[in-house]
Amino acid sequence: MQMANKSSRIGTTVVSPRIKKEGWIQNFRKYKALYLMALPGIIFFIMFRYVPLGGIIIAFQDYMIFKGIRESPFVGFQHFESLFAYSQFWRVLKNTAIIGLYNIVFVFPVPIVLALLFNEIKQMAYKRTVQTIYYIPHFFSWVIISALAFDFLSISGVVNSFRGWFGYEPLLYMQSEAYFRTIVVLTSIWKEAGWGTIVLLAAISGINPEIYEAAAADGANRMRQMFNITLPLLMPTIMILMLINMGNFLDLSFDQIYNLLTPMTYSVGDVIDTYVYRVGIVQGQYSSTTAIGLFQSGIGFIIVLFFNHLARKYQEDGGLW
Amino acid sequence: MLRVRDSLGDVAFRYTNAIVLGLVSILMLMPFVKVLATSFSGPSPVDAGMVYFWPVQFNWDSWHYILKQEALWRSFFVTVFATVIGTCFCLLMTALFAYPLSKDEFKLGKILMIMVVVTMIFRYPIIPYFLALRTYGLYNSVWVLVVPFAISAFNLIIMRTFFKGLPRALEEAAQMEGCGYFRLLFSIVLPSSKAVLATLGIFYAVGIWNQFMTPLMFIEDQSLYPLQLKLREYIVNVDMATDRLIEALPYNNTTLESATIIFAIVPILIVYPFLQKHFVKGAMLGSVK
Repeated sequence: MQMANKSSRIGTTVVSPRIKKEGWIQNFRKYKALYLMALPGIIFFIMFRYVPLGGIIIAFQDYMIFKGIRESPFVGFQHFESLFAYSQFWRVLKNTAIIGLYNIVFVFPVPIVLALLFNEIKQMAYKRTVQTIYYIPHFFSWVIISALAFDFLSISGVVNSFRGWFGYEPLLYMQSEAYFRTIVVLTSIWKEAGWGTIVLLAAISGINPEIYEAAAADGANRMRQMFNITLPLLMPTIMILMLINMGNFLDLSFDQIYNLLTPMTYSVGDVIDTYVYRVGIVQGQYSSTTAIGLFQSGIGFIIVLFFNHLARKYQEDGGLW
Repeated sequence: MLRVRDSLGDVAFRYTNAIVLGLVSILMLMPFVKVLATSFSGPSPVDAGMVYFWPVQFNWDSWHYILKQEALWRSFFVTVFATVIGTCFCLLMTALFAYPLSKDEFKLGKILMIMVVVTMIFRYPIIPYFLALRTYGLYNSVWVLVVPFAISAFNLIIMRTFFKGLPRALEEAAQMEGCGYFRLLFSIVLPSSKAVLATLGIFYAVGIWNQFMTPLMFIEDQSLYPLQLKLREYIVNVDMATDRLIEALPYNNTTLESATIIFAIVPILIVYPFLQKHFVKGAMLGSVK
């Protein structure tokens, strides 16, 4: 995004005065083909991104499906007020925030560590094989990943068999409140950590090898090179990834949670998205669940703005825009 | 070039690192191997928890059973159809929008870029999205697997950046010859953008193949279920084999479920070598910083 914005900034300075003086009508006449080309995209964004955005108006209505948006009565902030008074809402908000926090604390650093370690493998064939194995789960759906987790952790699954060897009672991991969030974290790592290294490895490969040679000549061993060269030079990339993660803090993967969730784990694992799906789409309480969704988007928006502001303040050219 | 001999510590670190990463990768594969072994095992050792990473009482019966399921094949073809058509459609839509956005002379471009970026920072809530798509007639339609994903803002920006980086000379020469923008895009720009098309094609294809939430919300008609939804149905309704409740069937729910999981994995493994060739490049395109 950074690059895109940068180039558009460059774009404004490059534009020749001839084009600048041009009015909209002349520009349209002259480049009709470009306008025509952009038309499907514009229609797409309006229909599939902006109309749904406009639809948040139903959070302030008592939306009735047969009346539609135009005729449903307005109720102001009533849905928000009842949300805040509703214990279910606080439960799903708490679960979402906790899992989101776990994602940042436990899941986010794993690709960084992994990329640093991959970088230390010198036998190329071995490295490629290992990397391939780490990448593969990314290409499988959450239905598959969670089915594998259920199988692996079931009563007759591998983990419980191992427990059996040491004389422990089998545990119902997937149905247990105590393990749910751990399983969410572990499956996230399993599926996406390898994939997450690619961007970082690309950044590492861009580091000038002379820096390492100089450090080695000064007697720095591999470990020190890793911590004092690779990691600091990766920081800008890590910061950008961190920003994106922070902004999506409350946007957990619906597919993941929904497929891992059982009614036994609702108390710790029911998050905003799964709740909105159940109560909104399945049960048809459109207005109140839109209010939750709007709340979620609003929080996400504020977080992105805040961290972007911070990043721009402390790092030159930091931030997403 | 100066070659410094590695110290003993370095060597120890390197080997430990390589071995640990290797062991973890084996650990990551274990659930897959376990399911594969289960799909070829007899039901009683599976229930007794005796199957680890090698089939016990080897047989093909679970596979015979699931490969005869017409509903599974139907879902498979729905997904294949959506993925093939969808990937082409998405790439076309993205390219058509990215190209004008990459042109400085396109005055509307800057406003449109802002419009695109806004959708990345402020996400629409799911309910209005659901209601909007339903009014478009996408409820219970195969097209819901494709159309709402036509342009991803992220992929659009990658493609636009790529187009901006292409050398101008060829385009300018063609323009001199009186070539219009449409011809420019289709006969000059796109043929020289194979790398980005392959990468974004993979992103779109994987997204469509694996999508779950959209079909879950929109597709009620079982004959239109894509593969992931069918898979979920088989896993949740553990009664695949109850139509014949005969003693000593050569399979049970667990073995059938395992075979179904492998069935859904295999197509991805088949195209994986092709994917791998491109996605590493692609992720670098993504790190445009």
